[in-house]
Amino acid sequence: MDPYKVLGVTPQTSDDDVKRAYRELARKYHPDNYVGSPLADLAETRMKEINEAYDMIMNGRTGNGSAQSSAGQSSYAGAGGQASSGSNAYARVRDAINKGNLSLAEEMLQRSPGRDAEWYYLMGTINFRKGWYDEARAAFMQACAMDPNNMEYRNALNMVNMGAGYGGYRPMDSMSMCDCCTTMLCMNCCCNSCCGGGC
Amino acid sequence: MFGFIRPVKPELRMREVERFQAVYCGLCHAIREQYGHLHTLSLSYDMVFLALVLGCLEPDEPATVRRRCGVSPVRSKPVCLPGQGLWRAADFSVLLTWHKLGDTLLDEHGAKYLAAKTMRALLKPGYDKACARLPEENTAIAACLAELYALEQAKTPSIDQPADAFARALVMAVPHMDEMTMRILRQMFYHTGRWVYLIDACADLAEDWQAGAYNPVALRFQLEAPSLAPVREDMEITLQRSLADIFCAFQLLDVRRDQGLLENIIRLGLPLVTRQVLDGTYQSNGGQNRHGSL
Repeated sequence: MDPYKVLGVTPQTSDDDVKRAYRELARKYHPDNYVGSPLADLAETRMKEINEAYDMIMNGRTGNGSAQSSAGQSSYAGAGGQASSGSNAYARVRDAINKGNLSLAEEMLQRSPGRDAEWYYLMGTINFRKGWYDEARAAFMQACAMDPNNMEYRNALNMVNMGAGYGGYRPMDSMSMCDCCTTMLCMNCCCNSCCGGGC
Repeated sequence: MFGFIRPVKPELRMREVERFQAVYCGLCHAIREQYGHLHTLSLSYDMVFLALVLGCLEPDEPATVRRRCGVSPVRSKPVCLPGQGLWRAADFSVLLTWHKLGDTLLDEHGAKYLAAKTMRALLKPGYDKACARLPEENTAIAACLAELYALEQAKTPSIDQPADAFARALVMAVPHMDEMTMRILRQMFYHTGRWVYLIDACADLAEDWQAGAYNPVALRFQLEAPSLAPVREDMEITLQRSLADIFCAFQLLDVRRDQGLLENIIRLGLPLVTRQVLDGTYQSNGGQNRHGSL
């Protein structure tokens, strides 16, 4: 692996610019952007490469001691991540979801008799993974209505509603004003606020 | 298809505008060369997007030549010579148009039915040729659209289900290549198809309402009037999620060219159309009814 190629920089690039390139890429491939996505593993591999490349470059440079890539690789369990209290059947459904076997998970869920908050939450998670966002959202809303204090359900609903897990990409916000100049201005502001006055 | 997928021209560089037009003309020329004049009717911006995405992965730099055509007989225009991606987009356009026309046949009566029937007879030889080139894809598209038709007939009160059937048809445009790229493209095309289907349903709401025709948005939200106002937020959220998925998938592709152009389409073009359709300010072809104009 050529670390310079991975970050898109050269050996002559200054430390600051390497850092900037690294941050830019890390934001792009951050696991938060791929929660519940069938491509999450690819993004994770990419992220690992970027982290390694950054560490290699920075550690190779004199006077840097041992730089550590700053992106904390905390574990992202994502929707349906934690095994939880629920009944045995639900635990098996969660297991199937985590293994990526959505059709099995859906079948098991359809066969289970109860229609409680957890049931709706799991159904929402399956739909979320399939990219059926409208049905996912309806199911998460139902779960939240039945058990308003459950944070897991609430987070899941927020995720569809684009609170978390959306990286820097907010497609509608950037086009909410028709005037392109205004849009550019806003985008510039966004850039400035995210990458510390990069533009 | 529908022509919803387009760049935002004022935000493009000059060479990107030229490149988009060269691929547009290139696709038209490829369709005509392979299938004949009549089939160039199946040309759409959506398929140009498809050609651009497939083309951006090819190792060989595409050649551009200047050519005249029936629509622009005097001034020659830059035309991108077809690579594998462009050929595939051409074949796929022909297949999809044929199957869509089949749906029209099932829905319409009277003059429209006759027109569709005649058109289909004329397009049959080209369709057969496209079938021979993409046999598996043809079978899969037919199966997906049959599923879609059944959902429509049953007046299923869901937007995700019919959108899924349509999206899976579009996924068939993904060619055989390395497994990783195929996975990324499948995700990208699935959500492109989902978005196109849903945005089309939103745009057609008033028309469908008047005709008493099937409309998934009206059924899903049990609308009482042909207005998107009560469901704007719901639709916006669900459409945005698909846009985010398209973008996130695109980020993972090893893009060799047209990065800026494709980003313009995904980050600016699709959101703009989404907003316009939901606001009711959308005009097809950007309000300019000119062939190939951006």
